[in-house]
Amino acid sequence: MIPLTPHLLPLTPYTRCILDGRIIVITSGKGGVGKTTATASIGAALAMEGKRVVVIDMDIGLRNLDVVMGLENRIIYNVVDAVKGKCKIKQAAIKDRRIENLYLIPASQSDNKNVLSPEEMVGFREIISKEFDYVLMDCPAGIERGFENSVAAADEAIVICAPEVSSVRDADRVIGLLYARSITPKLVVNRIVPEMVERGDMLNHSDVVDVLSIELIGLVPMDDQVVVCTNTGMPLVLQKKSLAGEAFRRIALRINGMADLPIEVPQSQSRFWKKLGTRLGLGK
Amino acid sequence: MFNDFLKKVMGSNKSDSREVAKKRLKFALIYDKLEVSDDILNALHRDIVEVISRYFEIDHDAFKLDIRRSDDFSALIVNTPILSAKHKDPRHSDL
Ligand SMILES: Nc1ncnc2c1ncn2[C@@H]1O[C@H](COP(=O)(O)OP(=O)(O)O)[C@@H](O)[C@H]1O
Ligand SMILES: [Mg+2]
Repeated sequence: MIPLTPHLLPLTPYTRCILDGRIIVITSGKGGVGKTTATASIGAALAMEGKRVVVIDMDIGLRNLDVVMGLENRIIYNVVDAVKGKCKIKQAAIKDRRIENLYLIPASQSDNKNVLSPEEMVGFREIISKEFDYVLMDCPAGIERGFENSVAAADEAIVICAPEVSSVRDADRVIGLLYARSITPKLVVNRIVPEMVERGDMLNHSDVVDVLSIELIGLVPMDDQVVVCTNTGMPLVLQKKSLAGEAFRRIALRINGMADLPIEVPQSQSRFWKKLGTRLGLGK
Repeated sequence: MFNDFLKKVMGSNKSDSREVAKKRLKFALIYDKLEVSDDILNALHRDIVEVISRYFEIDHDAFKLDIRRSDDFSALIVNTPILSAKHKDPRHSDL
């Protein structure tokens, strides 16, 4: 058997092999904006594209990604065990039975955030990126140790932001911290309510992009199906009729190389029918 | 300035809380970035005292460093009583 010795390698980004998987942290600063939903959905959609994907719950002590994905009954090992080498990655990674090539490494529920360190995460990154095409890290809220750990392991970042003052402000702060670590983050605006945007009662996506000035990779509407899927543990991206699911699928395609795929702006039903009417030549 | 703006927006009958949100957000981010951490202020305090001390005898305890903000600008305010001038040419000092 060949022993694993990645800890002995110099750990600069440049030592990483081209064949290594991409490690992407999903973060936001503020809680409740959709990091966990986005991690589960983008992860599932990437796996549906035929990639080997692992999603990792970095919210130590407050795990949630497992229930969102409906895999809570199958947990044996967790990310702390995997990082500390108490189990093999194969043992910690729970295989999703509905979507091929999708795996979850859950957070540990009994430890506290300080049980892991950024140094350990850098070591872990070298191991995990050898086994998967994509590693998505679901970052906890805040900018303390849990954030540090998630970011230490990542090469790329997606910032999730809701079109609200507090969320955008926190996103701005997190973007600054990511730049300080030489990561250029990309933006997803989630929880858009088109009716409110159209009547001028919600920041629109260009307001948000304007303020944060980073590259936008997706716009996700508020969608009841998100809650319905979380109730049942079904993957949102398998719901053909879910607008949020569709938005996350498109984000995954964009991440996975289709950089030119147009970003669709969520629209209200009334606006949608009006436009369709105009296109079909019915009225003005 | 900001209040005028709020009045203008609130006064119009069209609901447009989005404009208010955007404006407030921009102000908030500007203020956030002007905020200086205690560590930086302490280091600055130390450095300024060191530089001034090359030229003047100053009262270290009375030395005050402050950041004052108003609507349009921020100012760094340094206030120190001078006890006496040092007459040695600082360029030839042994610093
Ligand atoms: N696009 C959306 N439409 C409707 N509900 C959403 C959407 N995105 C997230 N939610 C809901 O918002 C809550 C917080 O989402 P979650 O993904 O847990 O956020 P975070 O991980 O950032 O704390 C959850 O109840 C989730 O179902
Ligand atoms: Mg979460």
